[in-house]
Amino acid sequence: MEEVALDLNHELMLDANAVAGTLFDIFGVEMTASPTECAHCGNEDDMGTLLAFTQGPGIVLRCSACGQVILRIVKTSDSVLLDARGAVYLRIMNPKPQPEGIPGENDSLGG
Amino acid sequence: MKSSIDWQIAMLTAVKPETPWVKSFTFSLPDWYRHKAGQHYDVRLTAEDGYQAQRSYSIASEPEREGEIDLTVERIKDGEVSTYFHDVLEPGDKVELRGPIGGYFVWEVGLLPEPLLLIAGGSGVVPLMAMLRHKAASHSKNPTHLLYSSRTFEDVIYFQELEKLNANGSGLKVFHTLTRGHPQGWKGFTRRLDAAMVQEVISPLGSGVQAFLCGPTRMVESAANALVELGLPAMQVRTERFGPSGPG
Repeated sequence: MEEVALDLNHELMLDANAVAGTLFDIFGVEMTASPTECAHCGNEDDMGTLLAFTQGPGIVLRCSACGQVILRIVKTSDSVLLDARGAVYLRIMNPKPQPEGIPGENDSLGG
Repeated sequence: MKSSIDWQIAMLTAVKPETPWVKSFTFSLPDWYRHKAGQHYDVRLTAEDGYQAQRSYSIASEPEREGEIDLTVERIKDGEVSTYFHDVLEPGDKVELRGPIGGYFVWEVGLLPEPLLLIAGGSGVVPLMAMLRHKAASHSKNPTHLLYSSRTFEDVIYFQELEKLNANGSGLKVFHTLTRGHPQGWKGFTRRLDAAMVQEVISPLGSGVQAFLCGPTRMVESAANALVELGLPAMQVRTERFGPSGPG
């Protein structure tokens, strides 16, 4: 096994798991176990496999197979800018009803 | 409706030194949610002028323990949050947290006793310890090999507990490697993680191995590449890179 030579940017590289909280803020549900497809190479995998670059002004998530950009996220004081052109799709699960919620509280979700 | 993503105020109830640079912090949570081993909490500190610093720390405790969590935190020189944890926080203090967070780098005891390969560098052992504690608490017999790289013997986190788990017949075998010197009579590896070491540790586990790797980015990259070269499908390799030194 050769020692992997990394530039500074790659030394600081994380997994999308590290920005799971930010993704949850944006989408309202846990996203790292949801699949996405890279628009560049077609690799389909859980969002948790994406490589995260978090040291810049925004967050960049790249495909772990081809390295191309899938998502760019920039937070401003009053909004979030999301550039998702690198993704064919994102899968956003419906929020789960709280398992230990007050009985009857989720009736309106049940239809 | 409250959820695990809402910030809450937790109280620090205990601090346990693990190594000269690592401590475990027990927090009591007003809104506790059962986590999955491998998940983390976000911690947010707010200064009087409104400046905020946020970090993610892996949960060290098993999900079977209710109402509280342990976060094991390494003190990073010049870190904004880890130094506050180590130098300022005392039992009784309150901290803003949210979690559990993350659904990808997680392991739960399942119906099949799949073999597990856990590879840790430094404080990357923390989420893997949650998996081992979960495995022990649920009496799971999954054959599990932990390959754990530390700089020196005094940098090994959870050494005594790992020794006990290693000896209790639960199918766990711990392999240590020390990269910057070792005590006399040391029986573990004494070099940086390499492909031969990874192969030696994974071979007895057979096929169907699920691998979880956590540590400095460079180490995780090297180990993940070695596993894929050894023929482990990338789908069975989950990684959590924490940069050059971990969350400061």
